[in-house]
Amino acid sequence: MPGLSTSSGFSNLREIKKQLLLIAGLTRERGLLHSSKWSAELAFSLPALPLAELQPPPPITEEDAQDMDAYTLAKAYFDVKEYDRAAHFLHGCNSKKAYFLYMYSRYLSGEKKKDDETVDSLGPLEKGQVKNEALRELRVELSKKHQARELDGFGLYLYGVVLRKLDLVKEAIDVFVEATHVLPLHWGAWLELCNLITDKEMLKFLSLPDTWMKEFFLAHIYTELQLIEEALQKYQNLIDVGFSKSSYIVSQIAVAYHNIRDIDKALSIFNELRKQDPYRIENMDTFSNLLYVRSMKSELSYLAHNLCEIDKYRVETCCVIGNYYSLRSQHEKAALYFQRALKLNPRYLGAWTLMGHEYMEMKNTSAAIQAYRHAIEVNKRDYRAWYGLGQTYEILKMPFYCLYYYRRAHQLRPNDSRMLVALGECYEKLNQLVEAKKCYWRAYAVGDVEKMALVKLAKLHEQLTESEQAAQCYIKYIQDIYSCGEIVEHLEESTAFRYLAQYYFKCKLWDEASTCAQKCCAFNDTREEGKALLRQILQLRNQGETPSTEMPAPFFLPASLSANNTPTRRVSPLNLSSVTP
Amino acid sequence: MASVHESLYFNPMMTNGVVHANVFGIKDWVTPYKIAVLVLLNEMGRTGEGAVSLMERRRLNQLLLPLLQGPDITLSKLYKLIEESCPQLANSVQIRIKLMAEGELKDMEQFFDDLSDSFSGTEPEVHKTSVVGLFLRHMILAYSKLSFSQVFKLYTALQQYFQNGEKKTVEDADMELTNRDEGERKMEKEELDVSIREEEVSCSGPLSQKQAEFFLSQQASLLKNDETKALTPASLQKELNNLLKFNPDFAEAHYLSYLNNLRVQDVFSSTHSLLHYFDRLILTGAESKSNGEEGYGRSLRYAALNLAALHCRFGHYQQAELALQEAIRIAQESNDHVCLQHCLSWLYVLGQKRSDSYVLLEHSVKKAVHFGLPYLASLGIQSLVQQRAFAGKTANKLMDALKDSDLLHWKHSLSELIDISIAQKTAIWRLYGRSTMALQQAQMLLSMNSLESVNSGVQQNNTESFAVALCHLAELHAEQGCFAAASEVLKHLKERFPPNSQHAQLWMLCDQKIQFDRAMNDGKYHLADSLVTGITALNSIEGVYRKAVVLQAQNQMSEAHKLLQKLLIHCQKIRNTEMVISVLLSVAELYWRSSSPTIALPVLLQALALSKEYRLQYLASETVLNLAFAQLILGIPEQALSLLHMAIEPILADGAVLDKGRAMFLVAKCQVASAASYDPLKKAEVLEAAVENLNEAKNYFAKVDCKEQIRDVVYFQARLYHTLGKTQERNRCAMLFRQLHQELPFHGVPLINHL
Repeated sequence: MPGLSTSSGFSNLREIKKQLLLIAGLTRERGLLHSSKWSAELAFSLPALPLAELQPPPPITEEDAQDMDAYTLAKAYFDVKEYDRAAHFLHGCNSKKAYFLYMYSRYLSGEKKKDDETVDSLGPLEKGQVKNEALRELRVELSKKHQARELDGFGLYLYGVVLRKLDLVKEAIDVFVEATHVLPLHWGAWLELCNLITDKEMLKFLSLPDTWMKEFFLAHIYTELQLIEEALQKYQNLIDVGFSKSSYIVSQIAVAYHNIRDIDKALSIFNELRKQDPYRIENMDTFSNLLYVRSMKSELSYLAHNLCEIDKYRVETCCVIGNYYSLRSQHEKAALYFQRALKLNPRYLGAWTLMGHEYMEMKNTSAAIQAYRHAIEVNKRDYRAWYGLGQTYEILKMPFYCLYYYRRAHQLRPNDSRMLVALGECYEKLNQLVEAKKCYWRAYAVGDVEKMALVKLAKLHEQLTESEQAAQCYIKYIQDIYSCGEIVEHLEESTAFRYLAQYYFKCKLWDEASTCAQKCCAFNDTREEGKALLRQILQLRNQGETPSTEMPAPFFLPASLSANNTPTRRVSPLNLSSVTP
Repeated sequence: MASVHESLYFNPMMTNGVVHANVFGIKDWVTPYKIAVLVLLNEMGRTGEGAVSLMERRRLNQLLLPLLQGPDITLSKLYKLIEESCPQLANSVQIRIKLMAEGELKDMEQFFDDLSDSFSGTEPEVHKTSVVGLFLRHMILAYSKLSFSQVFKLYTALQQYFQNGEKKTVEDADMELTNRDEGERKMEKEELDVSIREEEVSCSGPLSQKQAEFFLSQQASLLKNDETKALTPASLQKELNNLLKFNPDFAEAHYLSYLNNLRVQDVFSSTHSLLHYFDRLILTGAESKSNGEEGYGRSLRYAALNLAALHCRFGHYQQAELALQEAIRIAQESNDHVCLQHCLSWLYVLGQKRSDSYVLLEHSVKKAVHFGLPYLASLGIQSLVQQRAFAGKTANKLMDALKDSDLLHWKHSLSELIDISIAQKTAIWRLYGRSTMALQQAQMLLSMNSLESVNSGVQQNNTESFAVALCHLAELHAEQGCFAAASEVLKHLKERFPPNSQHAQLWMLCDQKIQFDRAMNDGKYHLADSLVTGITALNSIEGVYRKAVVLQAQNQMSEAHKLLQKLLIHCQKIRNTEMVISVLLSVAELYWRSSSPTIALPVLLQALALSKEYRLQYLASETVLNLAFAQLILGIPEQALSLLHMAIEPILADGAVLDKGRAMFLVAKCQVASAASYDPLKKAEVLEAAVENLNEAKNYFAKVDCKEQIRDVVYFQARLYHTLGKTQERNRCAMLFRQLHQELPFHGVPLINHL
């Protein structure tokens, strides 16, 4: 087709815009609504073209003209979802466009029937067996055409979809790759490819066409594979090139920030996005998660109302409302809304996990376990569900049992400190202190989110009467807090100072001890102890030793970080007990 | 965006956020196959007494149960099955299904309407509560619950089913008329079929809940009792995956998958399946409000307990202990004594791996009796007996205990435990060196009909106890030199427990030990050496011991000594007394072979004391043999002779043939040595007796093909004959000796230094 060959760079934005407009039209004509939407959105973000540059619609071929009437009729039927009827009138058409619509109608009709059948299948066990009957025939016909090399980009895409539906993943990937080569502009094919690729290795071995669309694909798949750094880099490049107005890219960046738990950034980007595109529903569930984490009740309530007005029967809307109720501690209602989301789309993973959380709040552990299990069934790599299961069993006071679940979660997110801290706590409960220490240290080394690992580690050392290490940990903890500069109330700060004061006192380092004791006086729970210690120090000093004249700088301030004490952030492999199934 | 293609269906079976497999409480539903079976039942009712012969009716009745329980099968297979039992009925069933399938929907409706007639009347054809009656009623109920579209779907499915069956039968008969056009069309069809087939290989169709339950219970019991008859691990897993695909909520399948994974020693998958099972079970426990909160907590406890068992099975004792502690804690919190009882037994099993305190076990038995858990109690008694046997308690006490527990078994018909008990008796008798009694017990187990045979139609189960008994049997036969019989037993073992099944290791070890002994007897040390690796893989201690024995035989004394010392220390640590004594004997042999019999004496006395203390008679008599030999070397043959008189009786009664030969040989040597001081007349008499004894020894050695020993005996005999002046006999013996000597490699060990 003319005008569909794409360059590899972004040098000519006008050309890109032309191509986007063209493909939006082509996909619309074929009923591929989502791809059309995506292309149009992206085209919209680029500056408008002057009249002279606007491309005329592609010329109509002889074949197209022949099928024009049938196509027009069928497209009308297709648009009102009368797929069988559309297919009937398209039978025997030769033009590529009509042929695609013919096959696509048959496919969609099969899908629709499958969904209808599911409701009244003969028995519960047959439920899983309901199949799209049309798939097999479609596969046979399409594979014949494929062998004869008669399929265009759209045809290949449809063939790939059929193969994927038949669980022939390998063949499907090959066909989708071919589709991207033939018609790189069609976003749907790229997206299907995204869903089929499960790890980085697979991605490496794909031979993809060298076009600017590839950049979008790579950014998207990096986000999916949790390679956030790379994804953000790619998106930043795209923005620099000139797609800064694209709501798609902005939302993807926000999601990426959400995934690496950079909440503030993600929130600000989402707010921006909502200003640009106030009626957008996609990704709003992620936004609501962020609001939930920050307990921003009024914002969440506003968002819920707003979305409810736009469309209340969307999965995302239900999810937002669920989050809203959850934040208001109305967990029954929250669970209800998550259920509704699941009714709308049973494969919507997030809702299962969130529902599990709600049941946990309601202390309905068995239902929570079920919900989490369902989440895992939909996606084995959902670390939150594994983590949730672990938490459930921890609540049921089965620390050994929950180890398995936390380990699974840890395997999926090796650098997430929360799993490590949870693992450490379990080991601590099981009195496996060596393992617990490893976990806490590792949690600290990978960057502790909750800043609790060091305190726990210190307490463990304290328990094992390894006072040297305990003191080191407390020092690091205090340094950490001070260097963060957060004013958030840290409960354990007083404990740290108290321990340090006593430690220095024992080591007869009076200056340090007295500084710490003074710090202790600043907290309510340790004030008395601090004062008592200060008195003792004074007494002992007066007894014999001459006080040093110069006051050294407080050791815990970042300025005086003793070089040899800074923990190296080198992460040794975490070798937990011999058996880690 | 991808969700355009995802199914957006509303699921009516979801309440409370959870999809229920069985919201209507229907365990079974109507399928075309079931209709065919219904037709068969209907026809059977119709034909009455006269039309079908008694034999045919009996065969049909036998056929019915598997048909009702089993998975759906194709129509042609069904016809075949019916035809085998009653051809005329098969015909009428075929006709009726044909009429129904080729007619219209009304025919099927009518059929179901008429079905309930069989219950009516003064003398109904089918009793309402019989197996068939229940099946009929289930089907009628399931049918009447179908909506219009479902009924229509069922009917089209029936037509499809019928056509598939027809096609098969037609294909089977003949199909040769092909014109070109049809051939082409057929090609196309085949192409379609190929793609269908490759999909359907993976899923042979869903099972109804009833069928699935039947399948699971059948496979589980087979796994326990007779692994060879169960599906292979791979195919069973495939079936299970298939089952779970259609019904992810069928928790029991996860448990079976756990058992299946245990078979192939897969830690990861089995843990995964086990935890998945309990996650699912916790829901059902909470749902069935019969026990209220109790049911839910219960599954938690058992989940932890099962996890402990799993870790124990894979040898992760520390993990197992942690899990067990958890189970105990939860059980204690909820006052579940039964669960605690199970925990206690496991605690013993775990404790056994490290120390041999039996306080726990005794306690466990008492408690189990108190709570009325006969299985656990007698399992405890059996472990206790085993433990005590190793600790050297007298046999009569042990046998008494076993007898008492046997009473319990017979009372509660715990056939599995009866088998274990007998196998254990076999082992105990062997341990104490009473081969006849051991033989008798083993034979008893093998010729006994299992209690369960009444139920399942299997004559004997392939459980561990049978494997143990058979292994003992093989070893006993080998000891007596009946190698043909032993290998026969082993062949049988191989058939019953194929190499990759759970208990195969038992016979593998046994087989290799026998081969090793034969190789050693034959003097083929290199062969024996090659077997050592195999033995070590199965049992490291045994392997090291055998390695030392081979080294010793090859005259590599210092290496052998080093190995034996290490082994001795290890065995003393783990309190493996039997092995300690064997090692001591080997050490002693090593000493007198290196010409220092004086050092050997204390070692031998230690061995003797140990074997007397633990009542290991077999080892005791072997020790006495060694002791006597040492005395002979030290030049006190009279002492040796009197010692031998004490030991020879049990050896001849229960010992292995090789030992018998060695004993007789030694007696002869002692006789000759002590005769040196006698007057000539008496000396000649004694030498005659010695020659007789040597003959006997030769016979024994010949039984186990100990050529080396025979050579020595013959040499000795020749010398004696020479002294006695019997030239002819002497020459015969000398010739024999020469023959054997040429055959065998000469190891340079002087004759006298051999026991």
